[in-house]
Amino acid sequence: MSDAGASHVRAALDRIVDRMLRASVLERIVIAIVSTTLALVIGAGIVALSGYDAVEFVYSLVYGAVGELSNVAFTLRQSTMLILAGVAVAVAFRAGVLNIGVQGQFVVGGFAATLAILFLTPLLPANTVAGVVLMVVAGGAAVAAGGAYGALPGLMKAYAGANEVITTIMLNFIASGVVYFLLDAYLRPPGAAAPNTESFPDYVDLPGFAFGSPSFSVIGFGIALVTVAVVYVYMTQTGSGYDLVTSGYQEPAAKYSGVDPNRMIVRTMTLSGMIAGLAGALFAVMILGYYSDPNTFPTFGFDAIAVSLLAANNPLGVIPAGLLFGGLDAGGQYIGFTLDVPSELVDGVIGLIVLFVAAPELFRAAGRYTGLGGDAG
Amino acid sequence: MPESTDNAPAVELTDITKRFGDVVANDGVDFSLRRGSVHAVVGENGAGKTTLMKVLYGLYDPDEGTVTVDGEPRTFESPRDAIDAGVGMIHQHFQLVDTMTVLQNIVLGHEPSKNGLVDDREARERVREICDAYGFSVDEHLDADVEDLGLGVQQHVEIVKSLYRGAETLIFDEPTAVLTPQEVEGLFDVMDALTDDGRSLVFITHKLDEAMTAADEITVLRDGSAVGTVDADETSRNELARMMVGREVLFDAEPRELSPGDVALSVDGVCADDERGIRQVDDVSFAVREGEILGVAGVEGNGQRELIETITGMRGAERGVVALFGDDITELSRRERIESGIAYVPGDRTREGLVQEYSLVKNALLGNQTVEPFADGAFLDWRAITDHADAIVEEYDVRPADADATAESLSGGNQQKFVVGRELERNPSLLVAAHPTRGVDIGSIEFIHERLREMRDEGVAVVLVSSKLDEVKRLSDRTAVMYEGEFVDVVDPGDVTEEELGLMMAGQSLDDPDTVALDAGGDA
Repeated sequence: MSDAGASHVRAALDRIVDRMLRASVLERIVIAIVSTTLALVIGAGIVALSGYDAVEFVYSLVYGAVGELSNVAFTLRQSTMLILAGVAVAVAFRAGVLNIGVQGQFVVGGFAATLAILFLTPLLPANTVAGVVLMVVAGGAAVAAGGAYGALPGLMKAYAGANEVITTIMLNFIASGVVYFLLDAYLRPPGAAAPNTESFPDYVDLPGFAFGSPSFSVIGFGIALVTVAVVYVYMTQTGSGYDLVTSGYQEPAAKYSGVDPNRMIVRTMTLSGMIAGLAGALFAVMILGYYSDPNTFPTFGFDAIAVSLLAANNPLGVIPAGLLFGGLDAGGQYIGFTLDVPSELVDGVIGLIVLFVAAPELFRAAGRYTGLGGDAG
Repeated sequence: MPESTDNAPAVELTDITKRFGDVVANDGVDFSLRRGSVHAVVGENGAGKTTLMKVLYGLYDPDEGTVTVDGEPRTFESPRDAIDAGVGMIHQHFQLVDTMTVLQNIVLGHEPSKNGLVDDREARERVREICDAYGFSVDEHLDADVEDLGLGVQQHVEIVKSLYRGAETLIFDEPTAVLTPQEVEGLFDVMDALTDDGRSLVFITHKLDEAMTAADEITVLRDGSAVGTVDADETSRNELARMMVGREVLFDAEPRELSPGDVALSVDGVCADDERGIRQVDDVSFAVREGEILGVAGVEGNGQRELIETITGMRGAERGVVALFGDDITELSRRERIESGIAYVPGDRTREGLVQEYSLVKNALLGNQTVEPFADGAFLDWRAITDHADAIVEEYDVRPADADATAESLSGGNQQKFVVGRELERNPSLLVAAHPTRGVDIGSIEFIHERLREMRDEGVAVVLVSSKLDEVKRLSDRTAVMYEGEFVDVVDPGDVTEEELGLMMAGQSLDDPDTVALDAGGDA
């Protein structure tokens, strides 16, 4: 009897897991929305148990993310950065290279953009055309610098066997330290209290269009989306992208197919660093309008790791994952300004939401591990 | 745990049906294993052998039918239940943790404990007893990491693991696929010792000779159904082959007149090292002409792998020159060599030849990333790649016939057919094939051999490495024998017997039978 009962339970479990594993994109979005709602309900319960107003908490979280136009702008601004940095991480992870140094590459890229703007501005006339030229040159400088800074640990791994996790983490500190030193010693205007550079000229800025926010531009968001599209096409439609993804899945097979593993590592890290550098340029031009002590920057490069993982390192998945993280970040910050709830509690609830959204992925992993969900595999 | 009557079969499967979607993998199969005997299950790839055994081992739930162990009907929810009922399985791909020691692997999940801690002494003692009883040397390696052991020893570890867990019935899934001829002999001795001790064995194989040598009874599966069960002493290879394939099979091919063309590949004084920097190929020289198959025989691990890797560009040569149609290609990358017309069937299909998580379509691109018509500049033409994959599946009879299936969902033999198909259809000028029919069923072996001969007749130069002597003898126009990194000799396969080849594989030159040949051979 118990045998039969157990097999029924198992059969039912099998069906559920099966269903989860085969969920379509639409179903996944539904699953994500349901999980978010569920997590918010549970989170609200925890907030209420801690003695705060749960309704106001949830309301503020949502309001802070999408409640009014300027909040949407802030959400999209954070999302822009998270999507770009998330794609940078995803490219490397897909190739099996653990680039934890996106933050550093981002800092170096932003600094290169800043240098390009500050040094070229006096040489050009003060008009909009010059602004566009400056931004394009700054973007190019950032991509080049980020790529070079990413190539460095790539070279160390490929030709000296240095573990990229360790080197990229260390290079994050080096990037922040060196940039801070250069900024403080050479670029701080005389008499200024904060270690900031001079502000960029007014015409070096991306227009806000409908949002009217000084620190968000639809163009910036568009750049992030275009980058995602380019990376997606690269991975799925080009031989070089196939090389990269195959290296991540199974390196011996990639080598068999003609990939030079060492060159692939360097190429991957360079590409990842280039995208991170572009994020840095956007941060400097769109958000700051000057450059500052990198130690005070938001940790987009680290949060991007969670974004990429939530997206299963799929570049297209980085868009919804980045929007979710951007919204939660905006909502969380709004709560910090308006409510008297400890920030730890806010972070806890946000963590819960991420956990629930990631649950289908966890479910998949658990399904594979236990062998449930159809036995064809 | 044998507590029931001696007459009952050790294991009885009745009317087993197992479906995967629309595919019927087992269709009303009956199977009865006599206590203390070896029962072989033979059949082509995809005939349902492994599925049937996975039902017995609790990995699959049958859709219909019953499993009876020691006269008692059982429902296995998982291998754990099967193990508890005394059924153990030696998988084709070993289920060992590479980075753990032999002892840890054996006791994993069944550790003897004392005061809540693993009782190391007790574990060692029990493993030693098992090893002594059956003559395993596994107890000499108890503290070595599994990854440092040869495949033959790893298999012994698997067997000891099952015995340690109290297995009375052991299922061997294609156990000889990874073994050298000597190791196969050793395995058969072990199987004898196990049956002498009253244990019952199921031996899954598609090698008819092995089934006839090692088994008492043989059940033939074809397309998911049991065609029949015969006594191993009263059957013949031809009868079994007919049952398996459903038609007559030709074992001998007609020889052909040699008319080789220009020198396609020349290897001159090549030396190569393995990953640890140990010399594996020592000053080997030879040449292969267009329209010629050079067979390389030898016990695995005598440098064949390293030799063909220096030809195909997977490995750099420490010394010497590799040339293709007179052009020095020694310094060319793997990709450049693919582009210059070298096709390569690797010996390790699971790690190198296929990306396990990719569909067959994506795998059809593997190695073709820069080759027209699959690549058009930087971009890929997935339409052309899909057509190519479909063509391989169709022509090489890959089952299931679905190019969207992942490589890992295919059985080993079908994976092999796909890799061979991809490489042979590359239109190469030089084909390097390592163990092209390893794990492949008889019908497909015939087909692959036929294709190799056709390619040769079309003027392709072929280097064939195989540990199957009969394959080398049957296919090659000249046979080189490799021993400890050198060519012992290059002979006409018609002039030597298998015994003589065997002697050469052990390092003895035929000209000088009493001494080990030290000079590098090669008369090309």
